[in-house]
Amino acid sequence: MLRVIVSKVESMKKYYLIVRNTWDEMLTYRASFIMWRVRNTIQLLTIYFLWLVVLPPGKSLLGYSQPLMLTYILGTSLMDSIVLSSRTYIIGEEINNGNLMNFLLRPVNYFLYWFAKDIGDKAMNVCFSIVELTLIFIILKPPFFIQTSPFYILFFIFSAILSLFIYFFINFLLGLIGFWSPEVWAPRFIFITLLGFFAGSLFPLDILPKTIFEIMKFLPFTYLLYFPLKIYLGQLNFPQILSGLAISFFWVFAIYFLVKIIWQKGLKSYTAYGR
Amino acid sequence: MVISASHLSKYYQVSQKEPGMIGSLKSLFSREYETVKAVDDISFEINEGELIGFIGPNGAGKTTTLKCLSGLLYPTNGAVSVISFTPNERKSEFLRRIALVMGQKNQLWWDLPAIDTFLLNKEIYGISDEKYNIILEELSRLLEVEEILKTPVKKLSLGQRMKMELMASLIHSPKVLFLDEPTIGLDVLMQKKLREFIKEYNIRFKATIILTSHYMQDVEQLCKRVIIINFGKIIFDGQLSSLVEKYTPYKKVKVLFREYADPKKIDKLGKIDSYTYPELILSVPNKKANSTASSILKDFEVEDITIEEPQIEDVIARVYTENKK
Repeated sequence: MLRVIVSKVESMKKYYLIVRNTWDEMLTYRASFIMWRVRNTIQLLTIYFLWLVVLPPGKSLLGYSQPLMLTYILGTSLMDSIVLSSRTYIIGEEINNGNLMNFLLRPVNYFLYWFAKDIGDKAMNVCFSIVELTLIFIILKPPFFIQTSPFYILFFIFSAILSLFIYFFINFLLGLIGFWSPEVWAPRFIFITLLGFFAGSLFPLDILPKTIFEIMKFLPFTYLLYFPLKIYLGQLNFPQILSGLAISFFWVFAIYFLVKIIWQKGLKSYTAYGR
Repeated sequence: MVISASHLSKYYQVSQKEPGMIGSLKSLFSREYETVKAVDDISFEINEGELIGFIGPNGAGKTTTLKCLSGLLYPTNGAVSVISFTPNERKSEFLRRIALVMGQKNQLWWDLPAIDTFLLNKEIYGISDEKYNIILEELSRLLEVEEILKTPVKKLSLGQRMKMELMASLIHSPKVLFLDEPTIGLDVLMQKKLREFIKEYNIRFKATIILTSHYMQDVEQLCKRVIIINFGKIIFDGQLSSLVEKYTPYKKVKVLFREYADPKKIDKLGKIDSYTYPELILSVPNKKANSTASSILKDFEVEDITIEEPQIEDVIARVYTENKK
């Protein structure tokens, strides 16, 4: 038993090394990365000041008070940059330019490889976000809503992790289109557009008409941003949280199995070109 | 027997497009596909420790065959077996024992030093520190790259990078090695070094190696046995020497006369390729080359005489063109 665990841990070491190499790679392009963070921060501040004007203190809009709305909007953009960021968009290109071969030739799991790369990417972004947010808090003293109940915080983190998986697998799936067509970007643009609206990154989804919102509850997009943030804001009761988590779970596994099937099919038709 | 292929075929569906804008529009709605038989019913067997030259003109199906053998492609028909595995199942035990190196593909992390890729491969293949250090030291000594291990890959020259690619593929000391044009684009010196290395690796690790190359020097100096493939079919499988025997049964004898020789007298010696005094070029059957030369020396006043071995390039070119018909 112990030996199995030891050998498992040993085999995980390669993925840790991928994480580290990803960091090294990012640090090679320090200037780009820092500018990317600056862009993120400016974007964050723009939305913040916009809503600060739209919704003055003491007023509320569609059932959201100023602190709640500000927290929601800034929360989405924060989640956007951390949970909903994935480098897996390169997969389509790797299939098409033949780079995928390097992975198929080695005893390495392509899913875990990308997951490790994403984790490396996210870890770096989280570190910077913490510094940036601390600065914003000290300088601007924004009226954010701080959740103190460990119950909500725990469920928030949990649902954010599920969101991360849903997003990762959807992106992976979109990359696999590369097996059949070199035009991997077209479906991705549609996805990004859908995401902008249905995930709730522009506004909380529950301000939509009730019937539309009821339908959207069953789509995976809702669980990418809206759902975790609603938990954080403490606006969902226990049964609502449970049913939401159940649907999230369903999507994680449904998309995961879809990815697996498509991956197997893709490999069979793979022609490993690129020369 | 380490590698065997029986009735292996691989067909591709290739979409066709007419030229120009209208062609592009048409292909949006209805695409025509053509089946390309990249590899068409080939069979061969390779034993442990053999170093095989796998040659053929561009698009003959060499790379496709190597990709089938290394598990990248599913054969359309037939079966392959490599160290008693079915390659396309891509079992970890199988992948640990093979390597495919392509002269025009890279696996190294572009922005990082090659040593970082080696370390990652060390973990991927689960090599112990001790074994890794020995191999790394040995490979970098053989390839003479100790100084550039820590240089970012993007700053290396093509030749240096090829050496690093080779190292990255050999860090797990594979027993079966597929080399797809490893010497492409390298200068003569580097080619020589790489050839010596491949030979050394073959002997030292008792590795089975299949090598494709367009440089006949590679094949000539490394491989006893060659397999020639063209239009997806094997057209020759055997010793390199018997290939030469089969396709160029003649040697060229070049004579420089001191005195004018009567063409009528020369006629009896063999087939005259050209005769413009003082130079004569004769085609003589391989076995008669020596006796002909000595009779020329005896009967004529000769300044110089040379017997030219057939150039391997010429032999191969002849094989390619003869099989086109």
